[in-house]
Amino acid sequence: MKRRDFLKAGTAGLAGAITGSTGMLTWSPRARAATITKTLYITDGFINQIDGTSVYFRGYSNSSGTLDVPGESMIVQEGDTVEITLVNTLATEHNFVIDGMADSGVVGAFSSRTFSFTAGNPGTYMFYDNANGVYNQLLGLHGGFAVMPQNSSNELYPGSRTFVQQQFWLFHDIDPAWNDRLRQGLTPNTAYVPRYFTLNGLGGRPPGAPGNADPNVNSMIDPRSALHGSIGDRTLVRILNAGLAAQSVHVHGNHMEWLTENGQIRPDVWEKDCLYLDGNRGILDMIYPYDVPPDSWPPATHGEYPMHLHSEMSQTAAGGYYLFGAITDIFFE
Amino acid sequence: MKLNTKKRLQRPVYAMGMGGGGGGGMGGACFIYDNNLQANNTLVTPDVVFQRSIDMNIPLTMDDGRTVNMWGFSDGGGGGMGGATFPSAAMRVTQGQIVHSILSVNMMWAHTIHHHGIEPGWESDGVGHLTWDVRGTSFTYQWRPMHAGTYFYHCHTNTVLHAEMGMYGALIVDPPEGPGTLYENGPTYDVEAFWVVDEIDSSWHTLPWSAGTCGADVGLNDLNPDYFVITGVDGSGSSAFGAAAISPVVQVGQKLLARYICAGYHPQRIDFGGLTGTVYMSDGRPLPNPVQATELRAHSAERYDVIFAPTEPGEYIISTDIIHWVSGEVLGTTHAKVTVVA
Repeated sequence: MKRRDFLKAGTAGLAGAITGSTGMLTWSPRARAATITKTLYITDGFINQIDGTSVYFRGYSNSSGTLDVPGESMIVQEGDTVEITLVNTLATEHNFVIDGMADSGVVGAFSSRTFSFTAGNPGTYMFYDNANGVYNQLLGLHGGFAVMPQNSSNELYPGSRTFVQQQFWLFHDIDPAWNDRLRQGLTPNTAYVPRYFTLNGLGGRPPGAPGNADPNVNSMIDPRSALHGSIGDRTLVRILNAGLAAQSVHVHGNHMEWLTENGQIRPDVWEKDCLYLDGNRGILDMIYPYDVPPDSWPPATHGEYPMHLHSEMSQTAAGGYYLFGAITDIFFE
Repeated sequence: MKLNTKKRLQRPVYAMGMGGGGGGGMGGACFIYDNNLQANNTLVTPDVVFQRSIDMNIPLTMDDGRTVNMWGFSDGGGGGMGGATFPSAAMRVTQGQIVHSILSVNMMWAHTIHHHGIEPGWESDGVGHLTWDVRGTSFTYQWRPMHAGTYFYHCHTNTVLHAEMGMYGALIVDPPEGPGTLYENGPTYDVEAFWVVDEIDSSWHTLPWSAGTCGADVGLNDLNPDYFVITGVDGSGSSAFGAAAISPVVQVGQKLLARYICAGYHPQRIDFGGLTGTVYMSDGRPLPNPVQATELRAHSAERYDVIFAPTEPGEYIISTDIIHWVSGEVLGTTHAKVTVVA
């Protein structure tokens, strides 16, 4: 969420029903809990990769006619009632779970189910499908979910260090051989070797590459992923890993203030330039402080820096294509 | 020190060198940004200057007798070849100094220097696609480190390959007190060790500098290491035991600082072999409360600074497992030794 949207959202919202995806994304601090409703369509399809390979995915989509991988992230408030309608358009069983908070139960082929749960402790979570072990999560059925503290617009949890804007970095890695076996209803029978690496569903498209200027294609400028700020625009980033590979999340320009690891509040806030992100639903929270880059001379207030994974295999696609993997840009404006 | 008052660098208009275009090139280089290069007009008079050029032929002999080719930065300018070591020569500076790193590269390939963990102006950050790659010329990076600690520098062109090939060196920022103190008003140490642990997939080590950049599948998504090194030495056996910078001798009553750098791409777990250390810093920043540890886990490019004050004479084997990023399987282990004498 960009700062202007965040501030705009902060002026609205009382108790009551907030419906649809718009309601989810324009979360605002409220004195009382609300009921949030959202319909997710479980769909499938193919997504073309940079090397021309068409890879099969499934997603929690916003309509029956789209394929959204990952599902659109949601921000709710502690105590909210979240009512999800799952519409399964596929011939396979699926579900929706958030560890420790929500479980839809199995939704059969070509059927729907509405269920609700109460938003629990403030923090960062993944919603995902575990109806077939880890396979549906790997196929793309995952998304970011955030619970804000009651009546707070600038804390991760009550008393945390504060921020002025927030967003999600949801990483994924893909072995197309696995996806293809799963498409056919077969169990993968090869070692998992990720070949594509994404951030919020996209890979990098460096200058000169097709799609470089398109934020719907290029993770470097996708507004869900790229950081934009001026000095002092402290940005909370909720980092999740839907893939199986452990990653090292590395930023340039500033160190990160490391707040949580896998749902646990860190006993101290360490300032780090690399964070160890576990594979298979590892979750971290950090604040990118947007300080003047400390080692710049003369002191810099503008510039463009990368966030990339330092587990550098993740910066490739199809065995080459360096810079077409999980990467984005950090803009000092 | 006098500021250059010229206006800031403009963000470059992107143009690619050597082949340009998208994928499909054969043997060329794509998405390399040497044509963007601008002079760094933020430069002021430096306190320290490092000259680095390129060496793409550094034979590294392993315990099994095999030689693996490494790449690195030579300590010296001129764009010539030869003379580099693996890892490359360390940079060591004092907090607050203005530093120039001058990289000279000939026409045969493109490279950069990124000072990892150092946070300079973007024009000095050495990230090829956001600024420029250096090829056939020299470029001066300017930085003024304000936090003492352990860092490293590495090439950020086709990084997945170039850093794996060994294009990195330690970068140490001493506090105003100088070597012997970890950070300003921080703990002191008597002996220093460098545990820079890396894995090598020798099948990558015959690739050209631009491998994969035009879209060829050269396997850079899948690192299957067959050698495991600590600070440039095959660490699978005891080869590192004779190197004082890796396997130090410490007297009871002395304090040993270990600067541990996870220089590989797979996660690592370092075990201190029965010693308990105090972790004072990570990634060039002091911890608010130091932590006692007998082992640590780390991932690519993380650094930890650990001080040991051993009380019992003996030999302590420092083991670092390299762990597959997906399977969790231990792929290999490096070994160093701390000898504690009365």
